[in-house]
Amino acid sequence: MSSSNFRQSLASMNRRNFMYGLGAGMGTVALNAMLAAEEQQSSAGPLAVKPQHIPAKAKYCIFLYMAGGPSHIDTFDPKPALDKLDMKKFTRNDKFASAMSSGERYYVKSPFKFHKRGESGIEMCEHWKHLADVADDLCIYKGCQGDSVNHPTANYHMNTGNRFGGDPAIGSWVTYGLGSPNQDLPGFVVLPEVAYPQGGSANWSNGYLAADYQGTTLRPSGSPILDLYPPKGISREHQRKNLDLLSQLNQSHAEMHPDHEVLQTRMQNYELAFRMQAQVPDIIDLKQEDQKTLDMYGIGNPISNDFGRSCLLARRLVEKGVRFVQLYTAGWDSHDYIENAHSKRMQAVDQPIAALIKDLKQRGMLDETLIVWTGEFGRSPDNGQRGGGARAGRDHNAKAMNMFFAGGGVKNGHVIGATDEIGDTAVEVVHPIKDVHVTLLRLLGLDDNKLTYFHGGRFKQLSQIGGSLIKEIIA
Amino acid sequence: MALYPKTTIIALLFSIYLFQQVVAEEPDAPAKPQSEINEKAAEAKAVFFALKVLPILKNKCFACHGEDPNGELRGEYDMRTRAGLIKGGESEETALIAGKPEESPLFLAATWDDGYSQMPPKENDRLSEEQVAVLKTWIKDGAVWPDKLPQLKHTGSDWNQTDADGTVSVRTSGGLSDDWTYRRYNPADLWAYRPIEKQQVPWKALPASLKSKNPIDAFIYKGYQAKNLKPAEQADKLTLIRRVTYDVTGLPPTTKEVEAFLQDNSQDAYEKLVDRLLASSHYGERQAQHWLDVVRYADSAGYANDFERPHAWRYRDYAIRSFNQDKPFDQFLTEQIAGDELYEAGDKDPELLIATGFLRMGPWEHTAMSVAAETRQLYLDDVLNGVGQTFLGHNTTCFKCHDHKFDPLPTRDYYSMQAIFAPVQLTNRVVPFQKYENTALLKEERPITDARLKDKNVNIGHVRREYDRLKEEGADQKTLDAMQQDLDDEALGLKKVENKRKGSLAKERARYNAWTMSVYNGTLKVKSNRDAMLMPKPKQRGNSAQDIMILAGGSLESPTEKVKPGVMSVVFGVAGTEDPGQASAVSNKINGRRLAFAQWIASAENPLTSRVYANRLWQQHFGKGIAGNANNFGKMGKKPTHPELLNFLASYLTKHNWSTKAVHKLILMSHTYRLSSQHAEQQMLDKVDPDNNTWVRFNPRRLSAEELRDSMLAISGELNKEMGGLPVRPEINMEVAMQPRHVMGSVAPAYQPNIRPEQRNRRTIYAMKIRSLRDPMLEVFDQPSPELSCEQRDQSTVTPQVFSLFNGQNSYDRSLALAARLEKQAKSKEAQINAAFQLLYGRDASQSELQASLKHIAKMTAHHKQHPPVRVDPPTSVDREMVEEMTGLLFAWTEKLDIFSQYEPDLKPWDVQPSTRALADLCLVLFNSNEFVYVY
Repeated sequence: MSSSNFRQSLASMNRRNFMYGLGAGMGTVALNAMLAAEEQQSSAGPLAVKPQHIPAKAKYCIFLYMAGGPSHIDTFDPKPALDKLDMKKFTRNDKFASAMSSGERYYVKSPFKFHKRGESGIEMCEHWKHLADVADDLCIYKGCQGDSVNHPTANYHMNTGNRFGGDPAIGSWVTYGLGSPNQDLPGFVVLPEVAYPQGGSANWSNGYLAADYQGTTLRPSGSPILDLYPPKGISREHQRKNLDLLSQLNQSHAEMHPDHEVLQTRMQNYELAFRMQAQVPDIIDLKQEDQKTLDMYGIGNPISNDFGRSCLLARRLVEKGVRFVQLYTAGWDSHDYIENAHSKRMQAVDQPIAALIKDLKQRGMLDETLIVWTGEFGRSPDNGQRGGGARAGRDHNAKAMNMFFAGGGVKNGHVIGATDEIGDTAVEVVHPIKDVHVTLLRLLGLDDNKLTYFHGGRFKQLSQIGGSLIKEIIA
Repeated sequence: MALYPKTTIIALLFSIYLFQQVVAEEPDAPAKPQSEINEKAAEAKAVFFALKVLPILKNKCFACHGEDPNGELRGEYDMRTRAGLIKGGESEETALIAGKPEESPLFLAATWDDGYSQMPPKENDRLSEEQVAVLKTWIKDGAVWPDKLPQLKHTGSDWNQTDADGTVSVRTSGGLSDDWTYRRYNPADLWAYRPIEKQQVPWKALPASLKSKNPIDAFIYKGYQAKNLKPAEQADKLTLIRRVTYDVTGLPPTTKEVEAFLQDNSQDAYEKLVDRLLASSHYGERQAQHWLDVVRYADSAGYANDFERPHAWRYRDYAIRSFNQDKPFDQFLTEQIAGDELYEAGDKDPELLIATGFLRMGPWEHTAMSVAAETRQLYLDDVLNGVGQTFLGHNTTCFKCHDHKFDPLPTRDYYSMQAIFAPVQLTNRVVPFQKYENTALLKEERPITDARLKDKNVNIGHVRREYDRLKEEGADQKTLDAMQQDLDDEALGLKKVENKRKGSLAKERARYNAWTMSVYNGTLKVKSNRDAMLMPKPKQRGNSAQDIMILAGGSLESPTEKVKPGVMSVVFGVAGTEDPGQASAVSNKINGRRLAFAQWIASAENPLTSRVYANRLWQQHFGKGIAGNANNFGKMGKKPTHPELLNFLASYLTKHNWSTKAVHKLILMSHTYRLSSQHAEQQMLDKVDPDNNTWVRFNPRRLSAEELRDSMLAISGELNKEMGGLPVRPEINMEVAMQPRHVMGSVAPAYQPNIRPEQRNRRTIYAMKIRSLRDPMLEVFDQPSPELSCEQRDQSTVTPQVFSLFNGQNSYDRSLALAARLEKQAKSKEAQINAAFQLLYGRDASQSELQASLKHIAKMTAHHKQHPPVRVDPPTSVDREMVEEMTGLLFAWTEKLDIFSQYEPDLKPWDVQPSTRALADLCLVLFNSNEFVYVY
């Protein structure tokens, strides 16, 4: 953190004391800020590990983002009632419905069979062949509702708590609150597909938090981190020579400006960057894994190869002490041809995710890792007459969706909440997205109400204005 | 500002009550009949409860303990009645013992006492010390909760007249509840709404030794005296010219300019420098950059499609011209808010229409996925917040759903101000390109666009390519048939990719229409995302404005009372606006609402406008505002460190006909601006004034993202200083340029830089700003996101900056160009090195630096001789892939890069000798050095 940021944090702490300081009752954040400040003073940096607010098992988070809006009705939330209604026509004229979901509509049954899996008997779509093995490790949640049926705004909402973007992402908040065990790697790493999701990099932005908490993308092709390497033909030895001269010039400059603390930070960053150039390729080199592991993740199988690589890389990153890893995979926006498209999407992620859970478990890491699987919204039980015809797909639905949690602190082998009999809207354990955020933070030992940052004249938090815990999800 | 010197009986009672608190134990209290005293005391207690206690209970407790919308009762504790409050909840412990706060669990919980659950549980909601004290007094006094609440009224103070407890009440149009309407404020929190009184300049504070007499210094010296501090020395001339040149133009001083200034020993050398810079047209570019941060300028519309806004640049150039002309700020703001109304009223200056692009700066889109009523509400919320933050220093969303928690801003005002914009409809108006607008690039690019429109074979699927190859080679039908399904799947995806290309090209085609982003007044019509529609004929515009209702809880589904257009009622009595309680401040007609609103904002009497703007100007010169949150002048914003100075600057601005340059000049000429960034007693300052709130020294700063890029181009000699016009497309990180980005239903075409280096190497303010495709080099150096108004830039120091500046292609290209320039300019290596130091630092290299540099060049020349450069040619096509939602499968295709195929590269390493490449290594190091990156 630069000295100006450091001073800023001190200043905001003072302000908090001034406003809320009631003798012994100094808030946790103020205390943390002070501890953090002390740590920073001893040059431990902005990613220095900070204590949890509330003891919790999970220390790491792997967040699996299914961009496009996976259909709950076709993944974990079977709706036999739709079988009878299939192709029944109705009309929707609602001032608050979009053009997309207005007019003549048809109910659409799920093209898939469902089976009860595991000892817990969780109902799952037939295409979850591998996830079926770890059904008892999952906690399916069906009560979440969003506000937006537009992809970018819904993505921003799920990722940052603010529909309009510009606020810090969950991963930024978590690394801001907990730091990250490995100081030489970013605390928040994003593994996107070659194509970026709607809304782009604002989905993993640090918002108003310090830039240290921004999601760093490890890209699947080309340079994993942008400009990690110099242009072609420039060797490491070449760079070292330039760095040595730079360091010499900077040194004599720093001597002339002894009070300008940030000069030291900037000099250290050049050395850290040089080290990262050597370390990153090592971390992302999946050749270091044995064939059995590669096979387990579905790497080499065309349909699951890409997400398999991402899942395996996520495990490696968490092993190296990266606090928060977010994975993206798109293609879930099945307005048409849902049978074809959703079955392929499930096949693409099924084996990799199951492998990730099994692998973490066998390494004794599942307990300290929280896994979250979600999209930006669910899908409608009905369809209009777009593209491939009435039968073929489903439109966006912010009132009903499903997500699952696995790993540390999660009540596994359970289904929490429910949607109505056709999957149109959540009806049990209904919570807005902000409550999912509060719960996710709590699973990682953070109290959303205490994880705040003073910005633009008020203390801001991930849930925007505070939310409630979904206790049913927590073991 | 109107004053309300009515003192009501309630206020008197309240004062008596507080007075009694103080004098109760004094034996000499005036003798009065006991019954009268008792009656008055009881009434005063009732008022105290209604005004002070009940609002705390309502705001902090009832939501969980009695008024949960789902009927839940936390801890089975119902706090809505006195009996319930006393009884307590599931613990079965009595919660309140009248007269004994310290023994009441309710009170102890509110103090977050360790023994009790901390209430309210949110850090954000925790009671202030003041609120805890109120609770304590109330319980101590018997916890009076009358059955019938007294009618509350204003105390009628004029804000200087505080009540006995030091608070004031404020007249507004009224809140949603009485306890909000009549609540009292700490006067210190209302500083920004107070009239700007004439400030006496504390000249006496200036030491006699100071030759220049600048009022700013008088105010600042007064601050030193209060803390017994001495300012730093004056900065040396080299530091000064670098500081002020970057500050005013965003560019480094040239070697000649530095030499001339250092040699000029005349008395007014510095003043001449300041005057020259303020007169430079680069001043307008720099000033507009600050402005565009606040108004969220971008060349694309955001959201799902993020389509290009082909005419946004005309507003950008309008801002640059306005600053260069030193257009009075009141006029500047009026044009932006109501230019079209002035135009319709008869002033046919095209600038008036171009200026209203301001009203279109936020992200906006309406597609089949959007709800029309929501799209409209988002626009109204966005445009009001834009005006609120930019001109009034208030985020208006803070009082959209409820009356403002801290400031005297009722929800009614939110919707009254929204009604100002109710007639606004978005449109593109025909405004012929003017002589003062740069249309060179438009002319040059037109044939390219025409060719792109004709080109049908840009995206070729990989299956299709393979199919065609097999077919050509005479493969049998069975083989070909086996590919048919893949071919069909691919065709589905490709069709959508092609549609997106067409959508993007339609916007590109629209660049050549002489349109400007503007608005008109008319009947509500939410238009499709293809906002390229023209102004409807007068008859089609409609003559009824949309009704604006107060939305309960901010929800579109809960409209309540209809409101008339109005201003921020706490600032009434300005520009003809009347008592907020009495009359509508603004005409209810469809035309003229915005003009009246703009005139109210632009009034010299409006206490916010001039303060907000003067504060922004101070902030850009000193790195920090006098008030620390430039977009928040309410209670929760940082209070001004030098309120009198801020008042002085605000009046100075209005007195000088709102001249921005007059304020710049005053600031730049001050002694304070010229202080060194080094202070002899820094260790002491770290304790006494770590944030440098006294401005006892100058704050060093890092170059902003744009300054970095522009400087590198200027120093390498490649900068094309041409001004204005169609946004240019510089080279950005190639992987990001080629990155497929999802837009609605498919992906957007690749980003391709302009063909010629002169086009690409323009100042950054002219670079196309696409919301979902930011230049990563600029982003990593804290160029703000155009989604939100940026009140102040961050100056972060993070590792990815190293990757960008030390490894990025841009840095290598600029370094090589600089090396070539140096070789042209000087023969000997020594002279070349010194010239480089001059260009970057404004000074010669020291002996040790010279030796180190010579050694480095020699070493690197040897290295380059052994390692010839690896030639990389610009791509002519790119392989792209995405998961297609129609099939759920990954599909790949090749996109032809039509513009890249005509690309003229910058100077490349394979064009030059090893010695030039070695000199470029030195340049790269210098571009990365702290001395270059920081301004002192």
